[in-house]
Amino acid sequence: MCNNKKFLNSVLFIYVSLFFNICVGNGKSINLAYITNQGEDTVSVINLNTLTVQKKINVGKGPLGIAIIKNKAIALVGNVESQSLSIIDLKKNEVYKTVDLKTAPLGIIVSPAGEKIFITSWYENKVLVLSTKDFSIIHKINVGITPSGISFNKKNNFIVVANRDANTIEIYDAKNYKLIKIINVGNHPYGVHTDNNYIFTANVYDDSISIINITNWEQKIIKVGLNPYNIISYKKKAYVTNAQGDSISVIDLNSLQEIKKINVGETPENMSIDIINQRLIIANWGNDSVSIINLKTDELITEIKSGSESRAFGQFIYTN
Amino acid sequence: MKKFILFLTVITFSLISFAHGPTPQKVQESITVSISPDKAYAILKDFSEFKKFLKTRSMDDDLKKVKYALLKEDGPFTDFNAYIIVNKGKTENESVIQWTARFYRTYKLNPPIPEGQDDATAKAAVQKIVEKGLADLKKALSN
Repeated sequence: MCNNKKFLNSVLFIYVSLFFNICVGNGKSINLAYITNQGEDTVSVINLNTLTVQKKINVGKGPLGIAIIKNKAIALVGNVESQSLSIIDLKKNEVYKTVDLKTAPLGIIVSPAGEKIFITSWYENKVLVLSTKDFSIIHKINVGITPSGISFNKKNNFIVVANRDANTIEIYDAKNYKLIKIINVGNHPYGVHTDNNYIFTANVYDDSISIINITNWEQKIIKVGLNPYNIISYKKKAYVTNAQGDSISVIDLNSLQEIKKINVGETPENMSIDIINQRLIIANWGNDSVSIINLKTDELITEIKSGSESRAFGQFIYTN
Repeated sequence: MKKFILFLTVITFSLISFAHGPTPQKVQESITVSISPDKAYAILKDFSEFKKFLKTRSMDDDLKKVKYALLKEDGPFTDFNAYIIVNKGKTENESVIQWTARFYRTYKLNPPIPEGQDDATAKAAVQKIVEKGLADLKKALSN
């Protein structure tokens, strides 16, 4: 009897889950995360509605950076060791082209209209600008040393680059590539993020983040967990991966204070927002997994295995 | 002028030498010991052999996890970070202790990478540290 009841409950649960996902959930059928696994030269395709790994795609050596071009239905994967880009067709989830870059690609972003790609070129201290028509390099911007994170500010049409070993960020006009401003931030900025109001950096060696107000360039530095790696903002909060703290710091953007730490997997590095389900998706390098946080409650939902040394540096979610 | 350029070059290269390559390396090893996780964790937290070369960065008593850095980085690798976690074994009196280390090779510039400064060399050196550390710990936990 007890078993029967359990069985019925399971069936009911599956039925309700399916109903929720298909009918209510979320209207949109495609909601996928593309997680680069640097230790096994693959990208895991994770269905964010069912939280299952749907496929693994072989790419070049040492994949780290990722960007999605939604209107072209492609993903760009930066292979650090083979110094190339693997271009994934998102309809087939297959690599259809590999672009040789002759330098290690770190951060990858795409202009809002999808016509240009910006890549931080780690070894040569440049930002490469590529055309999405034929993936040719159309320009190179000289920047500070070890450019790492990069972010696009849509409102002000600029790109911002974190120069990790120079302890600076640099802001460039996205159209004419002219330098707008250099700002000193904390020690060892790796990840950088920008929204309408702020620029954020994760300062690895300081265990801090910098929050810079775009209107007056005022900077506030806030202590977070051990070795913060990246930062992302969503609505009135920012989320920071504490790589050696195995946690996410939640920052309230009204008070500019840390309000919570959420424990996640080992060595969390990079994040994207699942807007459909209102969740934060985090790639954990240390235990090869992805942690999922509910953004309404700021609580951990679950952790799922992705692939060896998951890093996923960039906006890795594709919805359609 | 020439001197100035030389000076700039030296400064640039010495700045770069603080950096590391873009791909972190991982060494992960574990041992199984016949002792409860509570006891194993208590011994691990206070293990004098580790204090000779590791500094504790943080401890999480709930997860039975200790984070370490090296007191001195003098091997063929950089930016060493590690954690040891004590997990339950198959029985109450068994623990699985896992050590995960993250580090980079010493060569920071564009390939070709010189021998002795590559990923394989860094990995072999850290592998030795981890294996010896776990063997010492196993000995202490078996007494």
